[in-house]
Amino acid sequence: MAGALELIWLAFVWATVIVSGWLLSTYLFSVYTGRKGRIDKVLGPVEGWIYRAAGVDPAKRMTWKEYMASLLTLSLAMGAFAFIVLIGQAYLPLNPQHFPNMRWDLALNTAVSFITNTDLQHYAGETALSYLSQMAAVGTLQFVSAAVGLCVAVAVFRGFSGKYGGVGNFYYDFVRSLTRVLIPLSFAAALLLAALGLPQALGGYITAATVGGGTQTIEVGPVASFVSIMQLGTNGGGYYGANAASPYQNPSPATNWLEMWMMILFVTAMPFLFGRIVGNPREGYMLLIAVYTLYAINVAIAFIETPQLGAGMETRIGAFSSVLWTVTATSTMTGSANASLSAFNPLVILAALMGMFTQAAPGGIGTGAIFLLLYVVVTVFIVGLMAGRTPEYLGAKITPGDIKNAVIGFVSHPLLILVPAALAFSLGAAASVGAGSGAAGFTSVMYEFASAASNNGSSMLGTAANTVFFNLSTAAAMLLGRYIPIAVMLAIAGSMSRRVRATGASLKTDNLLFACILVASILVLVVLTFLPFFMLGPILAALQGLNAI
Amino acid sequence: MQSENPRAKAKSGARAANEQRELDANVVLRESIARMDPRRLISNPVMFVVELAFAVVLVMALDPTLLPFVSNKSNQAFYALVAVILLLTVWFSALSDSVAEAQVRSTATSLRQIEIEVKAKRLDADRKPTMVSSNGLRKGDVILVEKGDRIPIDCVVLEGVGMVDESLLTGESVHVKKAPTDILIGGSVLVSDSLVAEVSVNHDDTYLSKLIRMVESSKRPKTQNEIAVSVLLLGLTAIFTIIVGTLLWISLDLSLGVDLSVLIALYVCLLPTTIGALLPAIGISGINRMSENMIIAKSGRAIETAGDTDVVLLDKTGTITIGNRLATDFVPLGKHSAREVGEAAFLSSWYDDTPEGRSMIDLAYRYGYVPRAFRSISRAEAEEFSATTRRSGLKLDHPGIFMLPKGGKGILQGSRIRKKYAGADTQGELNISKGAPDAIMQATRLVPQGFDKAVSEIASAGDTPMAIAIGEEIIGLIRLRDKLKPGIKDKIDAIKAMGIKPIMITGDQPMTAKSIAGEVDIDEYVSQAKPETKMEVVKKEQASGKIAAMVGDGTNDAPALASADVGLAMASGTTAAKEAANLVDLESNPAKVIDVVLLGKQLLMTRGAVTTFSVANDVAKYFAIVPVMFSSLPALGRINILGLPPHVTVLAALIFNALIIPALIPLATRGVRFKPQSTMSLFLRNTLTYGVGGVLLPFIGIEAIGLLIKSL
Repeated sequence: MAGALELIWLAFVWATVIVSGWLLSTYLFSVYTGRKGRIDKVLGPVEGWIYRAAGVDPAKRMTWKEYMASLLTLSLAMGAFAFIVLIGQAYLPLNPQHFPNMRWDLALNTAVSFITNTDLQHYAGETALSYLSQMAAVGTLQFVSAAVGLCVAVAVFRGFSGKYGGVGNFYYDFVRSLTRVLIPLSFAAALLLAALGLPQALGGYITAATVGGGTQTIEVGPVASFVSIMQLGTNGGGYYGANAASPYQNPSPATNWLEMWMMILFVTAMPFLFGRIVGNPREGYMLLIAVYTLYAINVAIAFIETPQLGAGMETRIGAFSSVLWTVTATSTMTGSANASLSAFNPLVILAALMGMFTQAAPGGIGTGAIFLLLYVVVTVFIVGLMAGRTPEYLGAKITPGDIKNAVIGFVSHPLLILVPAALAFSLGAAASVGAGSGAAGFTSVMYEFASAASNNGSSMLGTAANTVFFNLSTAAAMLLGRYIPIAVMLAIAGSMSRRVRATGASLKTDNLLFACILVASILVLVVLTFLPFFMLGPILAALQGLNAI
Repeated sequence: MQSENPRAKAKSGARAANEQRELDANVVLRESIARMDPRRLISNPVMFVVELAFAVVLVMALDPTLLPFVSNKSNQAFYALVAVILLLTVWFSALSDSVAEAQVRSTATSLRQIEIEVKAKRLDADRKPTMVSSNGLRKGDVILVEKGDRIPIDCVVLEGVGMVDESLLTGESVHVKKAPTDILIGGSVLVSDSLVAEVSVNHDDTYLSKLIRMVESSKRPKTQNEIAVSVLLLGLTAIFTIIVGTLLWISLDLSLGVDLSVLIALYVCLLPTTIGALLPAIGISGINRMSENMIIAKSGRAIETAGDTDVVLLDKTGTITIGNRLATDFVPLGKHSAREVGEAAFLSSWYDDTPEGRSMIDLAYRYGYVPRAFRSISRAEAEEFSATTRRSGLKLDHPGIFMLPKGGKGILQGSRIRKKYAGADTQGELNISKGAPDAIMQATRLVPQGFDKAVSEIASAGDTPMAIAIGEEIIGLIRLRDKLKPGIKDKIDAIKAMGIKPIMITGDQPMTAKSIAGEVDIDEYVSQAKPETKMEVVKKEQASGKIAAMVGDGTNDAPALASADVGLAMASGTTAAKEAANLVDLESNPAKVIDVVLLGKQLLMTRGAVTTFSVANDVAKYFAIVPVMFSSLPALGRINILGLPPHVTVLAALIFNALIIPALIPLATRGVRFKPQSTMSLFLRNTLTYGVGGVLLPFIGIEAIGLLIKSL
């Protein structure tokens, strides 16, 4: 259990993030619906230049397939660019430490990892990546993947609303996501973080003489700007291998709270934005309530046992903040860490797995919201029939096609986690990275694939997983785990956007009753899919009395 | 005229079918076993997978050594038990289908019996009539229809002119004149003269027979909603296949000591077997319940769409009201009393056979306004209604003859009448006449004060005023009102409670329409409707995203029936209407459109309830089986909340999983019971019952079965 003061502080942080999220959603709404404002005078020409340079028409209405194709092309092209930078960084500039080229499988894993907003890192940034790789490759991809996440959410929201004649235009959404949302916000956040003590430098690592007479290498770099997008864009890929446990990335309790706040900001704004786009803010409020309930359940599971400050945790951050960060980072698919996962008791790991299996509590930037809608569609369909009507969501009848797409989305998740995990044990890959056949070993391997498939990026194996098997298998899980759900949700949204809207006495979804049923239904669906594996992993570990995995 | 009640016949038919059902038990049994053939079962993937699982466990039971690592020679008896339960699970599913189809067959049989009852007089070559049953008639046969006969089959008039009552079919009480070349609709009644007609269809070709055959055929396309549920079930099956497959794989990798039969038991328990088994039966039963209500649904889709209805168009006449204006009130004017008006109405209606006239006599009886010298009325002379005078009445000669000597205040107290009405012209004669107020005004000299006001007051209440005069003086008014059909208000309340908007359509004046609408609490009505009005209303509602239901019978309703989402045609209506509609009511009762909506909702609710129940059940089965399934992980035993030994738990869960299917067959076939209430309250109630109940019940059920097994 956590103390009363800590809970009050948590409630305060959540309250501020909810208010900020609401404010952000009003801004996002004007960005994506193209409302004119003073900012157009500055950004309008810039964006116009980008559209012309890229040769795209931002006014064209795309079908969901066109939207998906442009999204995928852009992402893969950016991924390929990052891959080339990583395998050739030794020949490229901005490499004062003279780091060698990355091995192809690790480079592939890293490029895929950052383009899919996963940021699973089988390397330690400070000893493997040049400044160019940090900024141009992985840093840029953090912006791209976050922007793509926002685009997907907005496109799906548009389709669900049925008011925009389709899902919109990817280039329009993508460019505006960057110019009007992510770049300005990251810039502001970076300044704030730098002010709070994060390094922002390109001059190479500093070698300093310590008080004790030895020397120490201070690995400085463009950290503040990196961390701002890593947290805001629920990326989670750290500048340093130790991620936010590193004092350069997260020097104080103040930066700790600020960075945690940044993780939840966009995912909190998403349900509000949904309500605005579909034209009924209450729909958004109820989704937000559902999301925060699931998030709170995860937090509660993690705090069943009072967190103890132990090996692998930072004293400046404390046990409470370490556990809370871990649950938040896994619930939001950020995956950044301010402590070693091996420091936690099995129930914290259980909570982290819950977040990654659910993917919507609140989930990653943009993608969390679409997973939530996937659950909504299935829930409305199953329980909505009991109201004695063909189930409708926002007035649109749910068709066999929607259910087919939703089912593909659902089936893909356990498939991408469990099959490679089983394979890892069969092929001996698990043993080669030190994962034994007990509850702890099983958990760490399952965690790796859960993190990859849900595009989270946290890892219990860490750099140890830098083997060909894990690099390739997690890369596949990350790619499929990102683009299959995006494709099926765009398909559902695309077909919904053209559907006749009923205005009759259908099931109301903008009330607390529905929010409760949605939460129950999500928990049942997650438990139904993953219970045996919870039992073989963290639950077994807890029952066997293991303090940490 | 409507002495034969088709529903009563169907009910007795259903009883006969019930007895037959006992005999059918063998058929059902045989059929259900035939359904377990894997080639037939493949159309139901969930059950097909269960049968595959059975085959695997059967192999284990016969020779465990064929599947090493995952089986144990000492468990052979356990494997045999698991195999038997799996086979029973498949059989229960097949049984539910067979039961549902047997019910449909018996309903169809009873529907046929309505038609069989009709007798026909067939004319042979020398025009001699022979009595035959209508189903013996063939196209081209010539039949004789006499006054009072029910037309046995659709035919064309060859000779004669007669009036036909199609009210059973159309709800309009106006008789239709039929002359040579006109079409007679089977089921209508000839009320005057006699006709010779040629049968225009073979019995089996009548539209209703076609429909009944459709009900019977089990080959019906799945509805969109059924397909969606099937896809969901397939998805769940896929997820559980992945889970159980990888669980087996990981258990072998990590040597967790799992037994394949236990894993298969978990698999089958998790599969949505309950809804998978009952899904076809629920659909068939939906059609069957419609048929039991004498409504034939042309497709399952029609029933489900009915459940989605947002707006119901109701004809005022025939649906909301009986369609006949009946006297409800005597309104005296001037110095006259209600009794005088009542008695005058009584006398003037004595020869009046119209429902209006009958109702005046009924009302007078009820108030006791019966003239005492009643027996003498035979001496009176009736004045028939004529289009020129627009009034009818009674002329009494020598009223003095039947004056009563004793006291009393009736209008036939001779002396008073003589004194009062002894006009200059017709001394000793008494004229009582009634008719439309303006017609009576023209024919009389004395119009009492307040006459106009009283007339407009009655009219503004939606009623029809009729004036009554004795001699030259108007003595009062009779209020005529179109009576509501019994029970219609409750039905309208029911659909309103569920958020469905009723719209009343009537050709009446706005005043009348408003008053009737107010009586049944209908907020929206269309008065002075023309034949195309229904179509316009349907289009308008659909344009605003509503699902519209309507009733129709005539050919001019066909376009509206076709464009409405739910079109209910009357069996008595024209074939064009029946073809355009997606539902046909054999009883030709337009008010049943409301029942159609309720039955549609019930079908969807039943499907949703069983699906939710089936999925919710899985939670309990998981928590029962998973803690005991890994023999090398005793630590998990600490969360074995049921506290039963492993094999007992597995058998109990499997038995529960199998038994829940036959236990829910009655629910699947009769549907979820519900009270009409708002969508949200229905939803909440069902969610609590089948969702929360679905999570809790298996814990109790498995524990009970487990304890029973343990005690054996």
